[in-house]
Amino acid sequence: MLISRKWLSQYMDVSDLSIEEMADKITAAGFEVEGVERLAEGTNLVIGEVLTCEMHPDSDHLHCTTVNVGNEVLNIVCGAPNVAAGQKVIVAKVGAQLPGGEIKAGMIRGQESNGMICSLLELGVQAHTLSEEQKAGIEVLPSDAPVGTTDVLAYLGYDDEVMNIGLTPNRNDCLAAFNMAMEAGAILHKDVKLPEYKDAANVGGPTKLQIHSDTKGCPSFLGKVVGHITIKESPKWMKELLRASGMNSINNVVDISNIVMLETGQPMHFYDKDAIVNQEITVKDGFEEEYTALDGVTYQLKPSDLVITNQGKPIGIAGIMGGDDSKILDTTKGLIIECAMFDHVSIRNTARRLNLATESSIRYQKGIEPLASQKALDRAVQLLIEYADAKELEETVVFGSANYHPHEIVCTLADINNRLGTSFTHEQVMDVFERLHFEPTYEKDMYTCHIPSHRVDMEGVADLSEEVIRLLGFDSLPSTLPLMEMTEGKLDDRQQMVRYIRTLMTQRGLQDCITYTLVSTYKKDNAILSIGDAVELAIPISEERRYIRTSILPSLLDVVAYNKAHSQKDVNVFEISDVSTKDTTRSHLAFALYGQLQTTRWNSFEVASDFYTAKGLVEELLDHIGITAQRITYKDNTMDTDHFHPYRSAVVYIGKDPVAIFGQIHPKYGKDNDVEGTILCEMDLTKLLEVKKSKIKYTKISKYQSVTRDIALVVNRNIQADQIVNVIRKQGKLGKEMIIRDIEVTDVYQKAPLPPTVKSITVSILFQSDVQTLKDQQVNEVMEQIMKALEKQVGAELRK
Amino acid sequence: MGKFEELHKEALEKIGCASNLSDLNDLRVFYLGKKGPVQALMKDMKNLSKEEKPAFGKKVNELKQQVSAYIDERKEELAQLEMQMKIEKEKIDITLPGRRMESGTIHPLNLVQQELEDLFIGLGYQVIEGKEIVTDEYCFERANIPKDHPARDMQDSLYVNENELLRTHTTAIQMEVLEQQAPNLPIKVVCPGKVYRRDDDDATHSHQFTQMEGLVVGKRVPLSDLKGTLEFLARKMFGQDRQIRFRPSYFPFTEPSVEVDVSCHICNGKGCPTCKGTGWIEILGAGEVHPNVLRMAGYDPDTCCGFAFGVGIERIAMLKYGIDDIRHFYTNDKRFNKTFKRFE
Repeated sequence: MLISRKWLSQYMDVSDLSIEEMADKITAAGFEVEGVERLAEGTNLVIGEVLTCEMHPDSDHLHCTTVNVGNEVLNIVCGAPNVAAGQKVIVAKVGAQLPGGEIKAGMIRGQESNGMICSLLELGVQAHTLSEEQKAGIEVLPSDAPVGTTDVLAYLGYDDEVMNIGLTPNRNDCLAAFNMAMEAGAILHKDVKLPEYKDAANVGGPTKLQIHSDTKGCPSFLGKVVGHITIKESPKWMKELLRASGMNSINNVVDISNIVMLETGQPMHFYDKDAIVNQEITVKDGFEEEYTALDGVTYQLKPSDLVITNQGKPIGIAGIMGGDDSKILDTTKGLIIECAMFDHVSIRNTARRLNLATESSIRYQKGIEPLASQKALDRAVQLLIEYADAKELEETVVFGSANYHPHEIVCTLADINNRLGTSFTHEQVMDVFERLHFEPTYEKDMYTCHIPSHRVDMEGVADLSEEVIRLLGFDSLPSTLPLMEMTEGKLDDRQQMVRYIRTLMTQRGLQDCITYTLVSTYKKDNAILSIGDAVELAIPISEERRYIRTSILPSLLDVVAYNKAHSQKDVNVFEISDVSTKDTTRSHLAFALYGQLQTTRWNSFEVASDFYTAKGLVEELLDHIGITAQRITYKDNTMDTDHFHPYRSAVVYIGKDPVAIFGQIHPKYGKDNDVEGTILCEMDLTKLLEVKKSKIKYTKISKYQSVTRDIALVVNRNIQADQIVNVIRKQGKLGKEMIIRDIEVTDVYQKAPLPPTVKSITVSILFQSDVQTLKDQQVNEVMEQIMKALEKQVGAELRK
Repeated sequence: MGKFEELHKEALEKIGCASNLSDLNDLRVFYLGKKGPVQALMKDMKNLSKEEKPAFGKKVNELKQQVSAYIDERKEELAQLEMQMKIEKEKIDITLPGRRMESGTIHPLNLVQQELEDLFIGLGYQVIEGKEIVTDEYCFERANIPKDHPARDMQDSLYVNENELLRTHTTAIQMEVLEQQAPNLPIKVVCPGKVYRRDDDDATHSHQFTQMEGLVVGKRVPLSDLKGTLEFLARKMFGQDRQIRFRPSYFPFTEPSVEVDVSCHICNGKGCPTCKGTGWIEILGAGEVHPNVLRMAGYDPDTCCGFAFGVGIERIAMLKYGIDDIRHFYTNDKRFNKTFKRFE
């Protein structure tokens, strides 16, 4: 919203405030002034008359002029192509400060020059508001311009300062200058006097005008015939206000429709009366055809677009742009005024589709107050009579109704202070309501506020409290803390587990990552440990951002590939994130290891990022969150051999449910993603949370000596280490006491001289009793049991 | 010089010259052994008179003891010397790099989120997270955002079907919490989470980002309580000397609504490029919960009220660490992520 000093000065006296002071106060009250601009700038300017103008002797484009500036004649060298003797011009005298710098006296190619003849561009006027002619040369003033006048900007009407105000969506009523002025008056403590125009349109004789709406998109519509108008130049004030609002003056009638829109926020359209057949206008939708609008561009209409029609033919796109055939020309003799309410969603959709953001469509989209149509019509009629010689007015034709009911809000002083935590007084609050034109009454401790029609944002007491703090200032808001019963601050079990795992993983050397939830079709198709069918966006952002992921790993592979491509040798990363389908959301952990996990090269210390490192991470994680090793099984991966190397990957089960899959990436999938050899893991943390955890319990540490026995076994190559360990674990009873305390695989050997069908596994078993010191004989007995079981169950022999 | 003196002198010299424990041991055996020169002196004793014998024996014993003492002394010296040599041989270059068990780092967004969570847990807040796919009703309707609001257009938010979408703000979690808790009081929660908007990713926009919603509802929780609470937040994230200020604003789900600025932590409020010369930096939006929101959730807005705030985790992290491009958070360049080694 652009509002200028001249605009505000129409309605109140702001001569005691600089534009910056106004901007600061208006901003502090919730209307952020995003910028302040002067229409033009320059000091030491004067209107002069070019007396003589000759070509510069040493230049093919410079002119040497003499210019009468009232009290002296100046020699000025001028480069503009359009300068000529006899012109009235703007002269910046020596010492003038212009946007481009200071004007100094000097010699230009040997010729004295004491000033500059200016173009409007050189005074800082926005280029887009100027004609090509104006941009190409100096500004040539009317022949009656008074030579010697120094207040040049005022003479030009460029002496205005404009605030660009960002409106919050609840205050779009302030797109109307009248409403903005009332607001500014309330903020700046000024008495506001708006023009008296109520009922100005209640004039006119019988009419033949027929207006109608065939669509819900246009609930109400006012029309009026003005039989005679005179097209001429607009008055200076009107031109200046339009200019301050960034609009060009066209002629008095078109300018009036624009000025009234700026004043009241209600867009209106004037049709050339003679172009409307049978004086009939109907709003319709359902068109599907091409239409050429006022701007000469042909648009494709869709059935949902609201269209203004005459005799069934489109004459305008409702609320957005009129048609060429019925526009106001210099020859126009009479008008039909259209002043309608249109559905803002419909206007928004059409304007967006056609890429047409006009002053009118913007206002419709943001919503227009219920009484604006009537206000605009009244004001337009008033101005047409005064500035366009309007005659032969016919009575207003009304379709539909504005559907407005006056609104009151009742509250007490305590209501206000309790919501804010302030201690404002009755006088302060009453003053705020009065400044806002709420016409407050106060009776039995109750305020009754009568809300003006344009304040559609005012619903209840909460809104009143905002008005109070906004206008009295947030500086008066104290700083306090909630006084209430104690509450327990906490994380839930899942959040605690996530934090724990995040810490554990980082301590093991993995980087915490966050990647995007939305993934491509390729990533969707390559989900690992997917939780179900991926949900697709109704309207995807792009092919890359089409699906909600059901697995983290495909995104994490991008992180590995990116870092690898940026010369990082070791990339060890993890992410904890929710993954979702239509019905479920689960928390997943994924990690990817590439290169070394730990390395110090000079002394060849390293922890390789390989299968067993990944398994170690999984084991550590499960152990630390309270899932004992006995409940976990690692099975050969037959579940997903597309993404994993089938013989270097495993699925982790707790009971019957797979909770994680990990291992080396499949060479093909690795190659496709440029991350060959990476070790991957995806784990369902929600599942882990559902598993009952073992309680931490103290057990007495035995005071008796422990005994270690190592056995080197020879087994068939296909026997897995776990099979051996499980056989041993089931043995180990001495009487009733289980004396095996630990079983550790210490070596695996499968080379010559062993035959290729077998391998040797060395197992170290720790024995200890809680009740006695174990004797060799006792341990030997247990070892015998173990060997028998191993022979029987896995065909193991002692290596000789 | 008598035999004793000669022997004494000779032994002393030889022992003093012994350069290692092995040589010294040979000397011990030589001098003090049964066939050694000291013992040989005893042979002379038989030629002495009965009266002379005790004195002679005493002298031999003294000599033995002296030699033995010299040897022990020398042994101690040599042991020290050998230890010294051994130690010197074991000298290492302590400037070579240590064998670091390098830790990974927590993602900066998680760092900031966790810091904020911990601050509010300390103040008695529960941390509540919700689902990312939410209904249009909880994302918008319950937040007092009308049907025709542009954000509710299929074109503008990330809908998955006619009435479900990826949440556009963590306010959606707030609405679920309110409904679940109604009519119980008080409520004190923070709700962190990922949110999604239809934006093209660039230095300042991201289609995915992280927010944290705060919500307190009680019998009387005025706007001034919001100010006091957010001062904790500002000081925790940007330092103990920070001030905050409120500016009026608008959100459909709060009334009054405010934008919250923190005094600039770079220039201490004097004005600098970070705060665009104003001395203040906008960090979040907040306000008193709108009565319609409470009513829709099942509370009577005449008997309770509260405040809510929504803070962008990326924004806080970018300001706190001086990060210039929001995309860094989602690229996970190891060199970037490694920067954030600790909570501050």
